[in-house]
Amino acid sequence: MMEPLVQVRRLVKRFGATTVLDGVDLDVRKGEVVVVIGASGSGKTTLLRCVNALETYEAGSIRVDGVEIGFRDEANRVRRTERELAAIRSDIGMVFQLFYLFPHLTATENVMLGLRRVRGLAKEEARRVAERWLTRVGLGDRLDYLPAQLSGGQQQRVGIARAVAMEPKVLLLDEITSALDPELVGEVLAVVKGLAREGMTMIVVTHEMTFARDVGTRVVFMDRGRVAVEGSPAEVLTRPIHERLRGFLARIELKEVESTL
Amino acid sequence: MELALASLPFLWQGLIVTLQVSALVVTGSLAIGLVLGVAAAYGPPIVQWPIRIYSDIIRSIPLLVLIFAVYYGSPTIGLALPAFWAATLALTVFKVAHVIEIVRGAVGSIHNGQTEAGKAIGLTLMQRLNYVIFPQAMRRFLPPWLNSVTDSVKGSALVSLVGVVDLMLSIQQVIGRTYEPMPLYVLGALIYFTINYSLSLLSRRLEARFAYIRE
Repeated sequence: MMEPLVQVRRLVKRFGATTVLDGVDLDVRKGEVVVVIGASGSGKTTLLRCVNALETYEAGSIRVDGVEIGFRDEANRVRRTERELAAIRSDIGMVFQLFYLFPHLTATENVMLGLRRVRGLAKEEARRVAERWLTRVGLGDRLDYLPAQLSGGQQQRVGIARAVAMEPKVLLLDEITSALDPELVGEVLAVVKGLAREGMTMIVVTHEMTFARDVGTRVVFMDRGRVAVEGSPAEVLTRPIHERLRGFLARIELKEVESTL
Repeated sequence: MELALASLPFLWQGLIVTLQVSALVVTGSLAIGLVLGVAAAYGPPIVQWPIRIYSDIIRSIPLLVLIFAVYYGSPTIGLALPAFWAATLALTVFKVAHVIEIVRGAVGSIHNGQTEAGKAIGLTLMQRLNYVIFPQAMRRFLPPWLNSVTDSVKGSALVSLVGVVDLMLSIQQVIGRTYEPMPLYVLGALIYFTINYSLSLLSRRLEARFAYIRE
């Protein structure tokens, strides 16, 4: 069996006295789409942020393609330098709940920035790659628009293009549809489905259960800073045995029913 | 009036000195204030708090006290600065504190998500500052900073009090010889006004350039 692309072991993260991640173990193999669900405060987002080195962690380890994320010297817990972190992050894509596009740059320039400054592509080459990705996410006619001139769904698709254009080893999606109007959710999820079909390895934090069922190769339920349940979408979502998972799913379902009323 | 005109060549020398002091203070304080302001915004606490203390102390001391302190104080530490340099140094020390606050405010107004988005595509700190933070912070930086530039020009008149023959002191010297204060003070005011008004016209232009749509 090949070593997993992402390997999280006994990960512990504390904010002051609060333990947010309390020994998380997770493996993600190449081409897998792992959907992480759980109540707010269960640590899903923090887990993603640790994988992309946006948070430090106190104990345990995270390896992406064999490289330890948080520490250059794991035994002595020596943290990585800013420069090392930048290089590591450039191979891990992240899409944010609130998009975080660069407001002073056009859609194309948003995608080009990393290609030019991190990947070192020449301007014209970077533009070509950026335009290709933006066209792929359905924004070929919005290339020179500023973020402020785009709808939320369009902005989020730029966010996805900006991340995947870097050809990351793994793509992290942090509740990327929760800030969107319901009618815009579909266009964003369609893009993600396309990426999944092409074999992009992803860790997806979401509250969209239908989406989890459709694209997830595996679903992970987090509870109180740990992975409580893990399995195929059918196992986890359709026939849940775990009591807190059942409660969580019931609450989500109730909300979905309410929103259709 | 002919008196005022006759004194123009003499005042010209003073004006040059005023412009020299102002230019040195503005560029010096910008360079130092920029570095310290960014450090105050992004540095670890150990770096942040000395900068804060500096800026808080300096901003609560009258500029004139600083100028006297540097001019009369420098010989006591064996560093007898000429009046021109003592005054310029004092003005710069004063201005740096203000630039720090302006930079910190401008940079701090940029949402942390911008930093995270920059990190996520692998930009280093310098790259994030250059391509993500500064272009956005410029809008918030320019108006108060250009304001502080005109303040520097006006504040430079205080250097006359330690004997630097700037525009202000040359005006007073002409008055001392002619006993005609009004025309010369009016002329002086006009010259200061011309410098600062052109600066504020320039600032409006610059601000318009950075007024792109946001969010």
